[in-house]
Amino acid sequence: MTTPGQADPEVPSVEYGLIRAHVLASLGTLLISVAFGLVVATKFSVPEFLGGHAWLTWGRLRYNHTQGILFGWLGNAFLAFIYYAVPRLANRPVSSRNLGWLLFWIWNCAVVFPGWVLVAAGFSQPLEWAEFPLVVDAFVALAFILMVFEFVLPFLKTRLSDLYVSGWYIIGGIIFTMLAYPVGNVVPELVPGARGAAFSGLWIHDAVGLYVTPFALAIAYYVIPATTRRAIFSHFLSMVGFWLLFFMYPLNGTHHYVYSAIPMAAQKGAIVASAYLGMDVILVVTNLLLSLRGSSGTVGRDVPLRFVWFGVVSYLLVSLQGSVQALMPVNRFIHFTDWVIGHSHFAMIGFASFSALGGIAHLWQRIPGTRYNERTMNWSFWLLAAGLTLMVADLTIAGLVEAQLWRSSAPWMESVRAVASYWLVRTFSGLPILAGFVLFWTSLVSGPTPSAAVAPAASREASESIPALERYALTSHEPSSTGRFGYVHVLIFGAGAGFFALSFLALAILPGKELEDEIERVAPVTMPTLTESEHRGRVIYGREGCAYCHTQQIRSLAADVRRFGAPTEAWETKYDYPQLWGTRRIGPDLSREFNIRPRDWQLTHLYDPRLVVRDSVMPPYSWLFDGSPNRPTQEALDLLAYIETLGRARQLSGFERQALGSSVQPETADMAMAGEPLARATPPTVPIAMTGGYSLSAPLLHPASDPADLQEEVSRGGALFAANCASCHGTTGVGDGKASASLLPKPANLITARFSDERLSSVLWNGVAGSSMPPWRQLPTEDLRAVVAYVQSLHVPSAVPPTPEATSLNEGESLFAANCASCHGAVGAGNGPAAGALAPQPTNFHLKKPTPERAWEVLENGLPGTAMPPWKSQLSIDQRYALVEFVRSLYGPPQENSRQ
Amino acid sequence: MINLIVIVASAMMLAMLLVWWRWPAFRTWIEAPKYSMLRQERRFDDRNETRTSG
Repeated sequence: MTTPGQADPEVPSVEYGLIRAHVLASLGTLLISVAFGLVVATKFSVPEFLGGHAWLTWGRLRYNHTQGILFGWLGNAFLAFIYYAVPRLANRPVSSRNLGWLLFWIWNCAVVFPGWVLVAAGFSQPLEWAEFPLVVDAFVALAFILMVFEFVLPFLKTRLSDLYVSGWYIIGGIIFTMLAYPVGNVVPELVPGARGAAFSGLWIHDAVGLYVTPFALAIAYYVIPATTRRAIFSHFLSMVGFWLLFFMYPLNGTHHYVYSAIPMAAQKGAIVASAYLGMDVILVVTNLLLSLRGSSGTVGRDVPLRFVWFGVVSYLLVSLQGSVQALMPVNRFIHFTDWVIGHSHFAMIGFASFSALGGIAHLWQRIPGTRYNERTMNWSFWLLAAGLTLMVADLTIAGLVEAQLWRSSAPWMESVRAVASYWLVRTFSGLPILAGFVLFWTSLVSGPTPSAAVAPAASREASESIPALERYALTSHEPSSTGRFGYVHVLIFGAGAGFFALSFLALAILPGKELEDEIERVAPVTMPTLTESEHRGRVIYGREGCAYCHTQQIRSLAADVRRFGAPTEAWETKYDYPQLWGTRRIGPDLSREFNIRPRDWQLTHLYDPRLVVRDSVMPPYSWLFDGSPNRPTQEALDLLAYIETLGRARQLSGFERQALGSSVQPETADMAMAGEPLARATPPTVPIAMTGGYSLSAPLLHPASDPADLQEEVSRGGALFAANCASCHGTTGVGDGKASASLLPKPANLITARFSDERLSSVLWNGVAGSSMPPWRQLPTEDLRAVVAYVQSLHVPSAVPPTPEATSLNEGESLFAANCASCHGAVGAGNGPAAGALAPQPTNFHLKKPTPERAWEVLENGLPGTAMPPWKSQLSIDQRYALVEFVRSLYGPPQENSRQ
Repeated sequence: MINLIVIVASAMMLAMLLVWWRWPAFRTWIEAPKYSMLRQERRFDDRNETRTSG
C-alpha cells in the first residue's frame, strides 16, 4: 500500500490524450446533431425553412440527427469514459494507444462524418437507428471488434470474479452491440417486409438496450461511489440487474410492431418482456438511489453527480413509461404519435445524455490538466433540465391530442392543425437544450487552471466516514474472497449469450418462418413485382425519409382500418427490401395509395404540398421538378410510380373478396388480434372514408331553412371551406386556388353555377372520379351541410337572367339530342350511353345550373381534362345560344322539367 | 417460447437469490468488487494528486 503523496508505481497508465480527444469530439458532434434536430423541429412549423435543396430536406436531416446523437455524441462520450474507467476497473491499461487512435479516427472519420455526408447526399438506409449506409456500417462493426481488443482484453486478463459492475456493463455493451448491430443494419436488406421488420424491431430496441443503456449505467455505477466515496448499496443487486437487462432487453424489440402482421406470439412475448424489464429497472434504480442515501447534500453540490442522479431518475421514469406503452390498451392509443417522440427524447437526453454529461464532467475534474467551470456547468444543468422537461411534457400532450383525433373520424389534417402549436413549443424547448449543451462545452474549456484547482483529495476527508468493512477493503490488496464462486459469472455470461440468441429465435427467426409459410399459402400467384422505374422510386422514397412520416403498416385496429383500409398483410410486403413500415405518423399511412388520387394531384403535392393541402407540414420536393409541377424530372416520375404501387397487389388480386359478406361496423371496438384470420380478411382493401363506408348512399344535405340558422351554417362552412377546399377552389371559390394551375380537370368554379343540395351532397360524399376532388365523408354531417350552405351562397346569378323563348328551347332540345345526349343522357341527367366510361362523368343538368356565361364558355372552349370538347367550330352562335338556354332550363327534378 | 424464456430467467434470478441467502461466503464474494472499485479510485487519485503537487 502507498500513502498519499507517494506515487504508486503499479498504477496503470491512462490514455488522457484519447479521453480529451473523445470528449471534444463528443461535444462537437453533439452540437451539430442538436442543430440538425432544431432544424428538423423548425420545419414542422415552417416547412419551407432551409427547403428547396435536397441536402437540407427534412428526411435527410432527421436521419443525421439521430445517427449523430447515437454515434457522434454518445459514442464519443462513452468511449471517453471507457478510457477513463477501464484502467481503474481492470487494474490494467487499455490494450494499445495506437489502437485507440485508430479507433478514434475510424469512429469519427469513417463513421460519423462520412455517414452524415453520405446521408445528406442521398445514400442511406430507411431503417430506424440504422440510417447510415452499409459502407459505414462496415466501419461501425470494425470499430466494435477493435473495442473488444482495446477494452475487453484487459478485463479478461484480470480476475473476473473481482470485476465491478461498471466493468461488466462495459464488456456487455461492447460484445452484445457488436453482435446485435448487423441484425438491424444488414438483415433487413436481405429479409423482406414483415420478416425483415421483425429483425428491425430487435435493433430499434437493442440500440438503446444493448448500446446506450449499458454504457450509461456503467457511468452511473461508477460516478456515484467515486463521488460519494461510499460503496454502492448492493453489488449483488447490481449484478442481478445487469443480467436481467441483458436477458430481457433483446426480447423487447417487437413491441414496436404491436397489432402488425408479425405473429401475435412474438408480439405478446415482447410485451411480456417489456413488463419484465420494467421490474428490472426498478431494481437497478432502487439500488442506485439507495447508494446515494445520506448524500443528498453531495448531489446538490456536485454538478456531475447531479447530472448522473437526473439520468438515473429519468431512467426509471422513461423505462416504466416504455413498459406501460408496450401494453396493448395503451399501445393502440399512443403508438405512432408524438408521445413516442417525447419518450425517445426522454430516454436519449434525460437518461443517456445526462448520464454521459455527468461522466464527462466527473472525469474532466480528475484528469491532469483539465477542470470545469462549476458556475457555468451549473447553468448548463438547469437549462438542460428545464428544456427537456418542457419538451417531454409538450410532446406527450401532443401525442394524446393526435391519438384522440386519429380515433375519431376527423380528417387527418385536423390532427396536424391541432398539434401545430405543440410543435412550435417543442422547437422552442430545443433552444434551452442547445444552450445547455453550449454552456457545458464552455464550462469544460473555461475551468480554473489545474494548479489552482482543488485536487480530488476529498477521498481522505470522506474516508473518515467509511465504515470499517469498507476501510478494510480500501486498504487491502488481497482478494476479498476466495475465487470459488468465480464460475458463476462465466455461467451467467453464457446464459446471457444464450438469451441473446433466444431473442432472435423467439422474435425474429420463428416468426419469420411462420410469416414465410403464411406468405407462401396466401400470396396471389399473380402478385406483380416492381418495374425498374418503381424500384428507383422506392429508393427515392427511402432516401428522402418518407417512411418516417408515412407508415406503410395498417394495424389491425378499427380506427386504422376505417381511415386507411384493410390491415397490412405479410404477403403484401414480400418484395420489400428493406421494409418501409415506419414507426411514426405525421402524414397518413400510404399502404392503400393505389388509385386513390390522380397523378396531377400527386405531382402537385410533391412539388409543394401546401398547393393542395393548405396546412400540410410536408416538405416540398421541388428539386424533383424542373421549376413547375407540370415539369417533373424522371426522379419525380419514378417516385410517383412507386407511390402508385402501394396497395396495388392487394386491390388487383381481389384479396378481400374472400370475406365480402361482412363489413366493419363503426361501433366495433378495436379489432381483434392480428393473428385472428376473421379480423384480417374482413375489411375492404381501400379506406372506408374513400370508397365504401357504412352507407354507400350519400345522405341528402339540406342547409337550414331558417335564415338565422342558415347564416350560421354559411359562416361555419366558410371556415371549413378555407381550411379544406380553398387550396384548389380558391379563397373566393372561382377555382383559382394555388393548386389549380397544375390540376386537370381544373377545380370547379363554384360561382358560375347553381348546385342543388343533391349534387353537392353526392360530390362531398363520393368525390368526383377522374378529378382531384376527394370524398369528404369523414367530416361530420353537420360540417358537410355547412359546406353545402357556403358553396350555394357563392353562386352569383346573372344580373339579368335571359328569358328563354320557346323557339330557342325547341332548337336547343333538338341540338342537345343530336350532339350531347350520348354523354349527358336523353334528359340531360348525365347518364348517356357513353357516360359509364367517362371520368369525370358528364354533368347532370338537373342538379347543376350554370350561368349563361359559364355555359357559353364551356361550349366555346370545352373542358380540358374531361371528355367535353369545344363546340365553337361545329355549332353556330345561334345554335350555341339555343343550347345554353336549353341546358339551363333543365335544372330541377327531371320528371317535372323534362320537355320530352 | 416466451413463457419458457421468462420462466428460465426468473428461475435463474431466484437461484441467485437462494444462493445469496444460503451462503454468506457468496455474499462476501459478490459484494467485494464494490470495495475494490473504491480502492482503485483512491490509488488513481493519489497518483494524480502526486503529479499535481509535484
